[in-house]
Amino acid sequence: MTGTGEQVMFWILGPLAVVGSLGLVFAKKAVHAALGMAMTMIILGVFYLAQEADFLGVIQIFVYTGAVMMLFLFVVMLVGVDSSDSLVETLTGQRWATAVLAIGLGGILGAQVGKATVGQSVGLAAVNAQTGNVSGVAQLIFGRYVWVFEATSALLITAALGAMVLAHRERLGRGPDQKEWSKRRFQEGKHLAGLPAPGVYARHNAVDTPALLPDGTPSELSVSRVLTARDQNLSPSTYTDGEREIERDVREGSER
Amino acid sequence: MSTIAALPGLVSLVAEGTDNPRADFSDTPLWLSLVKALIIFVYLLVSTLLVIWFERRVIGRMQQRPGPNRNGPFGLLQTLADGMKSMLKEDVRPKAADAFVFTLAPLITATMCFVSFSIMPLAGEVSMFGHTTPFQLTDTPIAVLLVLAVAGVGIYGVVLAGWSSGSPYPLMGGLRASAQMISYEIAMGLSLVAVFLYAGSMSTSQIVSAQSGLWFVVPAFFSFFVYVITMVGETNRLPFDLAEGEGELTGGFHTEYGSMRFAMFFLGEYINMFTVAALATTMFLGGWQAPPGIAAINDGMFNEGWWGLLWFTAKLWMFMFVFVWLRGSLPRVRYDQFMRFGWKFLIPATLAWVVLVAFFRAGQNGWLGGTVDVAGRSFPVVSLALVGIIAALALAGGWMWDARVERREARLHPHVPDEIDPYAGGHPVPPMPGQRLREPSLTAPALTSRPDTEEATRG
Amino acid sequence: MEGYLAVAAVVLAGVLLVTAAMVARRLVAPRAVTAAGRTTYESGVDPVGTGWAQSQVRYLSFAFLYVVFAVDAVYLFPWALVLRDSSLGLASLVEVLVFVGVVLLGLVHAARRGLLRWDLR
Repeated sequence: MTGTGEQVMFWILGPLAVVGSLGLVFAKKAVHAALGMAMTMIILGVFYLAQEADFLGVIQIFVYTGAVMMLFLFVVMLVGVDSSDSLVETLTGQRWATAVLAIGLGGILGAQVGKATVGQSVGLAAVNAQTGNVSGVAQLIFGRYVWVFEATSALLITAALGAMVLAHRERLGRGPDQKEWSKRRFQEGKHLAGLPAPGVYARHNAVDTPALLPDGTPSELSVSRVLTARDQNLSPSTYTDGEREIERDVREGSER
Repeated sequence: MSTIAALPGLVSLVAEGTDNPRADFSDTPLWLSLVKALIIFVYLLVSTLLVIWFERRVIGRMQQRPGPNRNGPFGLLQTLADGMKSMLKEDVRPKAADAFVFTLAPLITATMCFVSFSIMPLAGEVSMFGHTTPFQLTDTPIAVLLVLAVAGVGIYGVVLAGWSSGSPYPLMGGLRASAQMISYEIAMGLSLVAVFLYAGSMSTSQIVSAQSGLWFVVPAFFSFFVYVITMVGETNRLPFDLAEGEGELTGGFHTEYGSMRFAMFFLGEYINMFTVAALATTMFLGGWQAPPGIAAINDGMFNEGWWGLLWFTAKLWMFMFVFVWLRGSLPRVRYDQFMRFGWKFLIPATLAWVVLVAFFRAGQNGWLGGTVDVAGRSFPVVSLALVGIIAALALAGGWMWDARVERREARLHPHVPDEIDPYAGGHPVPPMPGQRLREPSLTAPALTSRPDTEEATRG
Repeated sequence: MEGYLAVAAVVLAGVLLVTAAMVARRLVAPRAVTAAGRTTYESGVDPVGTGWAQSQVRYLSFAFLYVVFAVDAVYLFPWALVLRDSSLGLASLVEVLVFVGVVLLGLVHAARRGLLRWDLR
């Protein structure tokens, strides 16, 4: 039987876990989704602790929050916070296949759950007091279920290897190093002294403002092409106009 | 172990070992737990105030300057003044920052750092307000793993701070910090496995009582060595403070933080130092138990009750001094060298060490062959054989290492002739240090046009 | 079970402490928000675009390795306690010897393929 304290905890943390998992699906920013997932995992760990499965609970927190979420955050940081997924489907008919598989999985799970009969729950109190929680888990992993465990891990490794083989691309040649880049630059004979630096103005010196050529036109080469593609460049006229106004004032003042 | 001499006794001891905590909390009402929690908070906060002062004074001494000495006696209140100052500062949040996560990150860091201390045994059984209770807030069968899990959650504070600032320096600092901390957390966790093998438990009170004969720093010396290195890496302290390397990343993950939020990171960093030091004390240095000589005085008089707090604090501050000492004497390492050290030395070596310790333990349990008597004490055959094999391997490895270093030296510094002809390549070349120049002759063959010297003659 | 309640209480107390500090700061600290003050710091250069920057993919491989070794460590923790068991200890020792051997082999392979290098070409 569950105690009152455990019930109170469940009804507070349970909805929070659901909120976290909904956040994973619906959050706009990927990091917020990751945070929601982390929260759900920690709460699940707390539930295991409350069920007296100490080792499982703390490992849930250690592995899932520590490892899997860290992986997720790294991916987010590398792929980009606001890069949106491509909506072009590369596999034709995958939606139908997914729907069929999902329904099939749901059917199997439903049938299994429906068939199951729940006996009187034993709880872990007796085992924890006698064998000890961690030793109990270890005896099952290393003793009774060792082959099941090995088979599962072999399956997992096969799956991971398959994913790697599908996604892996061997690099065909060595990339050019700095020396080769510089040689190439000289062979091409263009921009021998490097590209021009971005504009430096009295009130602004950021990388997003092009430098001015001697005839007063902005130099496209002086700003990063990434910024140009993202349309994040500023026009130098914002700063040069101000300067011109000052010059005019000075000229008019001296003529007066 | 001192019980090696009596092997049957040891076997029974091993069999009796249990996961469950030794500490008995049956005489601890809930309010007493709350009092203990309050004491731990005060203990940590006062220690933080002191350690920052201590660090600045000791560093000052090492650098031949006085350090803070104005506020209070010996400048003791300097940290308090700094804390008040940070409270009076304007709180600036960048426009590009993610408001929610930006606030959440220091909260995670400052909260999680306290949690690990709840399982540290600060002293043995003491009497408080008429109750006999172990002076530790709680203990569980997986207490040490709880510390690792909490540390794993604590890394989130750094990562999220780096991400949420909306600025490149913090992002890079956060990335670096997280990669560094997860790498060293692995080595830390693996180094503790050897202690679990000796203690047969992960509960801190069991581990401390298992060290009543011999501190684990002796049998698990390599684990201690690895742990001390990883604890510096885990807390982002010099020489491993790459996450906030000022020369490269201005402030690293907390570049955009100021005022009280920064103070929270600061607090978290220092309490984390105490946490890893307390874990080292508990796992390797006998926890709250008195040092061997003192423990024997008057039938263990100094080894019980409130005396434990004194020994524990003394051991803790010894580690604090080591932290400060390292900071005062070592420069920051390069990031790639740091990661290479972690992954190519610490982790594989610790894994091998764990397997080795397991064989020793198996030998002590009497499974792998019998025992031989050496100098009046009996040792398991397998342990002696392993020691012999390792010694042989170390010798062979050292020999191979030497040969490799020699070869590398030879490759890096190829033999330079005493005398060179400056025009040998068709182009005048200055001599290397210690070399003589041969007088150039007009009939030098290189001056005739050859394909590879064409450029030089043309120029 | 009661043990974890104490841990939860410590978490709660930590949150309270931080909140109290933040509230106190809000009460006594001045507020003078300027547009320049709210820009991010980039060594005096005005920031352009969002703060996100693509970084080295190397971090990702370390994250992967971390997952592998965290699970590896998790497998070793319960084993450390079961080694004292007379019926299971020796068998588990052999199992772990094989396991650690395979993991180390993987790490050596990763190192030989240059996965652990930072000065990548």
